[in-house]
Amino acid sequence: MTSSKVLGTFVVNGEPHEVAYAPHKTLLEVLREDLGLTGTKHGCELGECGACTVLLDGTPVVSCLVLAQEVEGRAIRTIEGLADGPDLHPLQDLFAELGASQCGYCSAGFMLAASELLERNPDPTRDEIRAAVAGNICRCTGYIKIFEAIELAAARLRGEQGQPTREMLYGS
Amino acid sequence: MTSRDEHEMRVGFAGDAKKITVDVPTGDAPPWDLDTRLTSVGGRTRRIDAVAKVTGRARYAYDVDLPGMLHAVVARSPHAAGRLASLDLSAVAALPGVAAVIPLKEPGNRVRFVGDPIAAIAAQRLDQALDALAAVRAEYTTEAAVTDFRDHPDAPELVRGEVVGPWPGRGGDEVAAALAAAAHTAEGTWICEVQTHSCLESHGLVAWFKDDGTLEVWASTQATFGVRGGLASALELPEEKVRVHAEFVGGGFGSKFGADAEGVAAARLSRLVKCPVKLMLSRFEDHTCAGNRPSAIIRIRAGIDARGIITAWDYDAWGGPGYTGRGGGTRHNPTYFTRAKTRNSHRDLDSATDAGRAMRAPGWPQGNFAMEGMVERLAELAGMDGLAFRLLNDADPIRQAEWRLGAERFGWEQRRNPKPGTPRDGDPAHLLRGAGLASAFWGQMGGTGNQVTCRIHQDGTVEARNGAQDIGTGMKTVMAVLTAEELGIAPERIRVTMGDTNDPVGPASGGSTTTPSLAPTVRHAAWLAKAELCERVAAALRVEPGSVRCEGGRVIAGDRALGFDEACRLIGPTPVEATGRRFRNYEGYQDSVAGCQFAAVVVDARTGVVRVEKMLAVQDCGLVIDTLLAENQVLGAMIQGMSYALHEQRIVDRATGRMLNGDFLNYKISGPADLPDMEAIMFPVANGKNNVGAAGLGEPPAIAAPAAIANAVGNAIGIPLRHLPITLDKVLAALAEARRNR
Repeated sequence: MTSSKVLGTFVVNGEPHEVAYAPHKTLLEVLREDLGLTGTKHGCELGECGACTVLLDGTPVVSCLVLAQEVEGRAIRTIEGLADGPDLHPLQDLFAELGASQCGYCSAGFMLAASELLERNPDPTRDEIRAAVAGNICRCTGYIKIFEAIELAAARLRGEQGQPTREMLYGS
Repeated sequence: MTSRDEHEMRVGFAGDAKKITVDVPTGDAPPWDLDTRLTSVGGRTRRIDAVAKVTGRARYAYDVDLPGMLHAVVARSPHAAGRLASLDLSAVAALPGVAAVIPLKEPGNRVRFVGDPIAAIAAQRLDQALDALAAVRAEYTTEAAVTDFRDHPDAPELVRGEVVGPWPGRGGDEVAAALAAAAHTAEGTWICEVQTHSCLESHGLVAWFKDDGTLEVWASTQATFGVRGGLASALELPEEKVRVHAEFVGGGFGSKFGADAEGVAAARLSRLVKCPVKLMLSRFEDHTCAGNRPSAIIRIRAGIDARGIITAWDYDAWGGPGYTGRGGGTRHNPTYFTRAKTRNSHRDLDSATDAGRAMRAPGWPQGNFAMEGMVERLAELAGMDGLAFRLLNDADPIRQAEWRLGAERFGWEQRRNPKPGTPRDGDPAHLLRGAGLASAFWGQMGGTGNQVTCRIHQDGTVEARNGAQDIGTGMKTVMAVLTAEELGIAPERIRVTMGDTNDPVGPASGGSTTTPSLAPTVRHAAWLAKAELCERVAAALRVEPGSVRCEGGRVIAGDRALGFDEACRLIGPTPVEATGRRFRNYEGYQDSVAGCQFAAVVVDARTGVVRVEKMLAVQDCGLVIDTLLAENQVLGAMIQGMSYALHEQRIVDRATGRMLNGDFLNYKISGPADLPDMEAIMFPVANGKNNVGAAGLGEPPAIAAPAAIANAVGNAIGIPLRHLPITLDKVLAALAEARRNR
């Protein structure tokens, strides 16, 4: 395999980055190894677990299946760009609040997939959430807290209070 | 002998509270009991490391990148059994980027499964290391091998899913007599397939053997001290020269206790090249070379008397733990059998596949699936509802209360299908609904031999430190909550450090031991630190030391009330520091924790697809230190159990021993689309076992779910399914057979 690198520009979280990278690399590898953005996780490298999900021009993709060369110049959003400076995105805040992140390894992928859903659908049903994150696997949480966090984040983004209900905290 | 003080405490729970006198070792903190009023404990604390996780700042072993770091891979045997005949690595070393290559087996050594490590290669880039695998020249003499425990010569003969052959007579005389005297008897066979741990972060580590002769390691592990010990021993180093970090870990579930052959290989490569070496397994390697929950065949015969009391219980099991031939034992809840004559036997059947490892309640989901399936059959023979039958037989006072609470909250009466195999009113003919239930039991109250440091600084910072790991259970937050409780301040104020073996020794996270082992130590450390803080404040204010106490975010000194920070300023530049100890457990209320789970399913009789609609758990874990963390554990365990019941199965090619579904596409894990409505109800019990009253929680909720779901499917379709996972082919076959027999 060639050891020569190519030079390319990746627009990550709104900032252009000029990177010298090995041309065989996936977007996942360039993000983690060349840009130091390790919030995007290696899970399976076969596009089956969703841990490496990022947004490409606003659409969720599994970055392990994206060849970096193909996405030069396009807008990439990673977990590091989900918060607005020091202010957490409501998804991040509620994942933390409800315990939707246990070992935390799958969290970034879930939140990015969910953020795209909330962009196009401010008031999703549980089935719509199910469809949006169907490509993501979590081994710790049992998913229910992830769903509740997404529902509450949607409410907050709509300008509603978005506090956990008694049922979410204490069961029905 | 340790001196001790008698201490009276009120233990149990609201429905069964009692006063007992326990011997508390001298020097331990006075134990909490039912009457203790607690502030931070039992709340819903945001995990203290949650922000690091949701922002992507949390650094896992896989994320570690060090200057000059090399990447390593492992060459593995393609054969299930035989010997390495020759190994030539000379072509590897000459390849571009390759820095070092070491053999992990010598010619003549056995290869024991497909994936057995034979050599390790470190290169500047991962792709160079992977390319170099093709240059490893290995020859083998292969042997025919058993790759499925069912093919082992000592395996029981199975005919249409039932073990045939005589029951062992020896030691079973009492049971045989009880069976002969029983009003009703039943017999059956249950089978479980292999499940892999499937941690989202694969196994591996970064090892850096430095010029000063020390080894520093960043590992994805659930036992920092275990990895330190393993590497020290393999590299013949004193443990003090090895430092292991595991600040964040992407799951373990029992598979990440050791350095493993791969971790040792990375450390040896690093010693050769004096550079950091990273070796993380691929997903296929993780499925095939990093352990699994062993398969099992379980045969039970049992009898009840005319009242429905279980009087005979004969349990015969075979485990399939892979090439080691060890660790495939099964277990089940013993509390139904206090009035029965019992016999348990177990045999492990080795096969040329990856070795089983501990997996969340090792052996219990298998054993309880079979046991609760048989209990369901016995209830039927007694003409009783499954819940009523369990209430009659279950000797555990905690679970008696849990059954009643759970049944009411779940709606057992309404959800149970009174006519199994037929649709409920209003449902179309092809949709069959049913409900099932099962018990959980665990007997782990933690052990001694760990320490925690609590440090209070003059700026008001409070530290709690232990070198064990938080694998996602929330142990760091548990440490914060307990320290905060003792000092009367908010948990968010506590700075917790875990996952560094330079800190005090802590347990491996296995067997639900971390919390019950560490929690009393955390509290002891904070209790000692509080005493010294009060002494120093008293000295500075010239008041009696006994008149100072911490309460409600303040330090009360006689008639003065100082803010906590204000009081800490009186400490001076030398921090208050205390080392907490873990004293032995007390007699206490009960040595086990109890739980139960309920499941409702709908089965599509046309497709065979089973959907779980609702799951509910009631679970005791002693004192609930944090309700949110506890519920998190239970909910996650329920879905893992559902996944085991319905989806997960390692498929191995019997001819070659190679796993055919070593990925996440063909090895199906329950995903968001499978999510049922779920509820976890914590059932707090003052167990009086240690100064906190903590018990383990990781394993118990993983035990009941597969059995509850299998029983629910049986109730829905009217046919018991006794082979996990309950995939649609098995459902359709059972329904077809029932139609033929009608």
